[in-house]
Amino acid sequence: MFGGWGGGGVLTLCCSSSLKSAFFLFLPPADIISTVEFNHTGELLATGDKGGRVVIFQREPESKNEPYNQGEYNVYSTFQSHEPEFDYLKSLEIEEKINKIKWLPQQNAAHSLLSTNDKTIKLWKITERDKRPEGYNLKDEEGKLKDLSTVTSLQVPVLKPMDLMVEVTPRRIFANGHTYHVNSISVNSDCETYMSADDLRINLWHLAITDRSFNIVDIKPANMEDLTEVITASEFHPHHCNLFVYSSSKGSLRLCDMRASALCDKHSKLYEEPEDPSNRSFFSEIISSVSDVKFSHSGRYMLTRDYLTVKVWDLNMETKPVETYQVHDYLRSKLCSLYENDCIFDKFECAWNGSDSVIMTGAYNNFFRMFDRNTKRDVTLEASRESSKPRAILKPRRVCVGGKRRKDDISVDSLDFTKKILHTAWHPTENIIAIAATNNLYIFQDKVNSEMH
Amino acid sequence: MEFKLEAHRIVSISLGKIYSARGQRGGLKLHKNLLVSLVLRSARQVYLSEPGCPPEPPPAAAGHPEEEPPPHTAAWAAEEPPPPPPQDEAGRDCQGPRPRRCCCGENRGGCAGAPPPPHCPRKRSAGERGQAGSPVKKPRREEEEPPPMPPPPSPPGEQEDMETGNVASLISIFGSSFSGLLSKEPKGRRRPPLDGGEAAASTAPAEAAAEPGQICCDEPVLRTLNPWSTAIVAF
Repeated sequence: MFGGWGGGGVLTLCCSSSLKSAFFLFLPPADIISTVEFNHTGELLATGDKGGRVVIFQREPESKNEPYNQGEYNVYSTFQSHEPEFDYLKSLEIEEKINKIKWLPQQNAAHSLLSTNDKTIKLWKITERDKRPEGYNLKDEEGKLKDLSTVTSLQVPVLKPMDLMVEVTPRRIFANGHTYHVNSISVNSDCETYMSADDLRINLWHLAITDRSFNIVDIKPANMEDLTEVITASEFHPHHCNLFVYSSSKGSLRLCDMRASALCDKHSKLYEEPEDPSNRSFFSEIISSVSDVKFSHSGRYMLTRDYLTVKVWDLNMETKPVETYQVHDYLRSKLCSLYENDCIFDKFECAWNGSDSVIMTGAYNNFFRMFDRNTKRDVTLEASRESSKPRAILKPRRVCVGGKRRKDDISVDSLDFTKKILHTAWHPTENIIAIAATNNLYIFQDKVNSEMH
Repeated sequence: MEFKLEAHRIVSISLGKIYSARGQRGGLKLHKNLLVSLVLRSARQVYLSEPGCPPEPPPAAAGHPEEEPPPHTAAWAAEEPPPPPPQDEAGRDCQGPRPRRCCCGENRGGCAGAPPPPHCPRKRSAGERGQAGSPVKKPRREEEEPPPMPPPPSPPGEQEDMETGNVASLISIFGSSFSGLLSKEPKGRRRPPLDGGEAAASTAPAEAAAEPGQICCDEPVLRTLNPWSTAIVAF
């Protein structure tokens, strides 16, 4: 269990991977990381970037020789998932930016993941090759046909070890399913279907069928002038293959049951918290828009992120969240400037730890926040090169809002709003987190407690 | 009063965002533009409901002597009647207070019936304030000031005429709900405003050089009308 968060707290995060940012350092803005996702065992970590590339990291197996190097993540494979396209009908360019990556549960030696840009979802199969057959009769080592007259005896080809080669192939391309921009994908617990959501519609696909999908949610009004809300995120329930949730720009969540009807326009449950009238401003609607929704591992709770808060909802209670945590409430008085510089539209993600006891989300100035649900303590940490030398321990940070200011505090006005941590991921079972800070990836590990309690 | 200025500023920022959204790579971001339009609506409502706002003119608009509504303006202001040719529209834009005023009256009647009438009343009020006299010119200038580049120098009278023309055209654009930018006018009309805008630009180069960021811009908004509506219709 995570203990105190102060200077000598139980959670002492340190930078575990010396590779942390080297790969991304020198690259142009196209390599801004746009999504981060651990696979189901945590052995692999995939990142997608604005240039349409996917980079997969693999955790090194722990070795007795170098105990401190246990569990470092190194580059496993890199491939170009999506390319920019042009929609001639609408005269619009389709960005190659990877919006989301979701791993499929592993069913054989190969790994598979889904990656999506604004329009097209692709299923990639990642396989390893570490042996190659040698000793063919009819062709030589380079594959050229032998002169038959030189063949005097027959041999049986044998498999010889070779340098590990990771091959990535596109197995399915799910195209033309979406008119609007795809914002999320989610693999069903049945391991056969998945859903993709855009601003107004959600489609259900079968992983093996690319030429059709079922539309299960459609909130497009008959008259686009009546449009008042859009879908912002969606996810399948981790255990019940008939349930899924989607969030809206109005701050509400809708839980839908696919057994109820083919078109799930009518929600089974609507989770909505009435607005606090004392906080009303021009920007109330924008800041209540939910940017991410995640089921807890237990399936009992949902975590949502809006601009200023993270909220935990109990599936059984629709009227209000059970917990609300302020991420950076000091920004509430600055909403107008944040609107002007577009920061108010930033979509932060949120994450649960493996035991659902801690939640994490990003903020500005390369800060990220963690909230312990049990102790109600929270911490602000920074992902920066200075504070993240290998095995350095992260120091908690503090933003001061006037009043007494301690040493090392940052004032609200000196926060760097160009350094935003939108994408974070938590290892499914261990205290290892991946933080994407623009075009750098940081991987932090809890040194003291590697295992979840 | 403070809220009014803030609301004004927010409106101008919002319009700037909607304008610049059309050039974004990857196409129109529906979510962001929806949120911007909601902010626009909120700001407009605040702007109207503030006590400093002058009372709405009666639909006849007969109170002000210089604002007798010419019949052709009435036709131009209303959405249902057949659209006038673009040249006339451009000419009317420059006519000064009259088209805008009448437009207010006409649109008000039209707007009252339409479900959410968000933008029209706000713009009407902005225009009216320009009418009332020199102290009221201040809000409009403030509107112009936020953008980084000041408008090119032009005789104040002429500029004001352009302004009211802009306001009038904005009123027609925001005539109804979120997709007020999407005109209810028949398809044929969408091209003419673009040409009308360009025609106006050629006749008033000083005005044409006004930055897109400025809220009361005729040409950029009219240019926006076409691709925006195309994008939404395509959706």
